[in-house]
Amino acid sequence: MADAHYRFPPARAYRLNCCLRAIKSDPDYCARFVADPRAAMTEIGLDEAEQTALSSLDRGALATLGAHPYLVFMAELRLRIAREPATLEYF
Amino acid sequence: MLVGAFACAHTPQLLIRPETEDRELVLRVHRAFARVKSRLEALRPDAIAVIAGDHVEAFFLDAVPALAVYVGTECSGSFGPYRYRLPIDEALARAVLQEGLERGFDLLYTQEARLDYAFYVPLHFTMPAPPVPIVPLHVNVYLPPQPTPRRCYEWGSALGEILRARSERVVLMASGGMSHFPGTERYADPDFDYDRQLLERLRAGAGRELGRLTGEELDKTGNVELRTWITLLGAVGGARADVYCYEPSWHHGNAVVEWPV
Repeated sequence: MADAHYRFPPARAYRLNCCLRAIKSDPDYCARFVADPRAAMTEIGLDEAEQTALSSLDRGALATLGAHPYLVFMAELRLRIAREPATLEYF
Repeated sequence: MLVGAFACAHTPQLLIRPETEDRELVLRVHRAFARVKSRLEALRPDAIAVIAGDHVEAFFLDAVPALAVYVGTECSGSFGPYRYRLPIDEALARAVLQEGLERGFDLLYTQEARLDYAFYVPLHFTMPAPPVPIVPLHVNVYLPPQPTPRRCYEWGSALGEILRARSERVVLMASGGMSHFPGTERYADPDFDYDRQLLERLRAGAGRELGRLTGEELDKTGNVELRTWITLLGAVGGARADVYCYEPSWHHGNAVVEWPV
């Protein structure tokens, strides 16, 4: 299923997916990313193309680089909540 | 013994209730969850075996199992402002693991893994009073390898045999579904027609058919999480589904279902 929505991430995207997962699941890393994205991405070893795509949350570019779509989805959500805590309003 | 079988949506918007959601729709799903809670209190289970998919929280690219059993004393996790910690029925979990291996299922087990909202959201709303321990059963859905629907059905059949032979009163609960496409261009375009047709088949007792679906069909219709339902259907076979609710939101087909056992 080469065109599946949720397919095997290529091994070359391992560090990129590690970074997305850290944003999603590691609150300390997420805070570091919000404070200084470049430093946080360099810490994990992302290359320039990956850093550019992730800095702008360019879904198309991230997908081309091998990012898992669910990780992109949740990393976006975590960053939005971290940057705008009022996003979630309870009823 | 197996005393009950349910499927519950777990979309986190049901829990955190952001302004993007239709309040009345969310509350209708909450009312369906309340019916499940009442049923659980009437069924008096000793444990709830929750079949759920991991959202790349418990397992990552260092090791990704298709099927796994959490054999520990307790499990924990968090989502947004919610922190949760749930006791596990360790003896029952170990029995499921060992009996599963005896039946030819090469299961992974873990004693330490973070449980994500797939486990927590349904239990937040349906855990009976007094609360009971759980047995977390992992069926992989998002990060390959995803087990085939046929394999899920077979594992569910074995699981049903294992639980029916036990002295404990056990409820099976499948978490997840129906159509949704998180992280893709189809997030706001779920396949609700597919869901409705599938629910009609389940109402007619055609659960066995789902073991013949393909992984490709599940992916195309936003139903990768139905692997958890298909596992449960392996245990309940041709029972006719009682659909408590089907509530399609702008991004998710929310269903709550019971099967007689």
